[in-house]
Amino acid sequence: MFRFIVYRLNFLKGIPLFALIYDSCLKIAMLLVAPERLAWFDEIENEVLSWDGTNVSLHKFGGMQFNYGQKEIGHLHSNGLLDILFTRQVKQELLASGKAEVHHVFKKSGWISFYILTEKDLINAKYLLNEAYRSRV
Amino acid sequence: MKASVDKEFLGFLVPNILIISIIGINRFVLQPQSGGILVFSEFIILPILMGILAAWYWRDLKFSSKKLIWNSILNGFFAIVLSFFFLGEGTICLLIVSPLIFAFVTTGTFIGKVMFKKNKQTLNISFVSLLFAVFVVDSISDHRYENMVSDEVIIKASPEKIWKHVVAFNKINKPNNYWLFKVGMPSPMQTTVSGYKNGAGRKCIFSNGYTFDEKIVTYEENKNLTFDIVNQPKDPEIMGHIDIERGQFLLYNNGDGTTTLIGNSWYKLHVFPTWYYDLWAESITRNVHLRVMEHIKNLSEE
Repeated sequence: MFRFIVYRLNFLKGIPLFALIYDSCLKIAMLLVAPERLAWFDEIENEVLSWDGTNVSLHKFGGMQFNYGQKEIGHLHSNGLLDILFTRQVKQELLASGKAEVHHVFKKSGWISFYILTEKDLINAKYLLNEAYRSRV
Repeated sequence: MKASVDKEFLGFLVPNILIISIIGINRFVLQPQSGGILVFSEFIILPILMGILAAWYWRDLKFSSKKLIWNSILNGFFAIVLSFFFLGEGTICLLIVSPLIFAFVTTGTFIGKVMFKKNKQTLNISFVSLLFAVFVVDSISDHRYENMVSDEVIIKASPEKIWKHVVAFNKINKPNNYWLFKVGMPSPMQTTVSGYKNGAGRKCIFSNGYTFDEKIVTYEENKNLTFDIVNQPKDPEIMGHIDIERGQFLLYNNGDGTTTLIGNSWYKLHVFPTWYYDLWAESITRNVHLRVMEHIKNLSEE
């Protein structure tokens, strides 16, 4: 469903608030099918906010965006998809080590994606965000 | 602890009272001539503002995402219950609108959560004012939407044999298949007619006893029956939301012993956004058509 919306109904992102409303639908769905994952997302948010100079905002395509000052560290969609921008070199290293996957849309960029599906994935998600944070400090 | 409970309670109480008051004032005081048109901003902007306002009360309570979503759904549920009692909305209508309300209130709550975390009051006030301005402009704008739904069935009978069942038919006893009819939405049951000619009165009786009064405006035997709806029931499910204006049955002899029966309905929708409500209006109209046309098919093929 998420892939269908992102690839086939991509034009909808131009409608004001659409992405945020769609992300809310993901939140409600998550509440019904895997409420424990919402607690993991909160844990990630709290962890990032414990680092100096960070703040959160709503991502323009839906989800929670983590920032260092004005710079984006990464964003987490409410289906558990974490997107982070690295340099292409770091991205290749992360892909090689299996810690990240190619970004679900921008495959040739420095963006990576990582799905948080189990509690074990939390450690890697925090690691990736921390790497991105340290690269921006 | 008590202060937390009070703030949580206020996050439910204040937004609900405010939003219901705004809708009530808009509908009954400022726009009584509109006949109760519900514009898109009442379904989108107001629930989002409701969520933002609730988030303001909950901003220091450190609620988890799970708690915020549940509270948003609860807030939406309270708004729906208040609409039932104070705005006279029908149960099925509220069932249809509920997914929108839950999603938009949740969106507002999370917008509010982030807004109040940043504590940029000028930006926050600007954003809320912008939403409110959209609501005001949308409320005073003209809203019109008309649509026609068409369905057809093939019947193994001649137009002559089908015609009498098209003009009027006895009670439909077949159980309903459409889920909205199963959960209580009235379905068509019977049609009576005062004469077989132009200008004759026709009544379409629904399962709850409500009747649509119709007047035949085209009576071309075995070909075309067109009727205008001159009076529709004062049912809260449809009153002020949809006006069924005209109905039509067309019969085409296929020349192979079968006839194509086409059912058309024209309606005006008074609830917006139409990209959402017309999906429902089309679906309901289509299922009304099919229930009647399947019945005509069964009677004609006996």
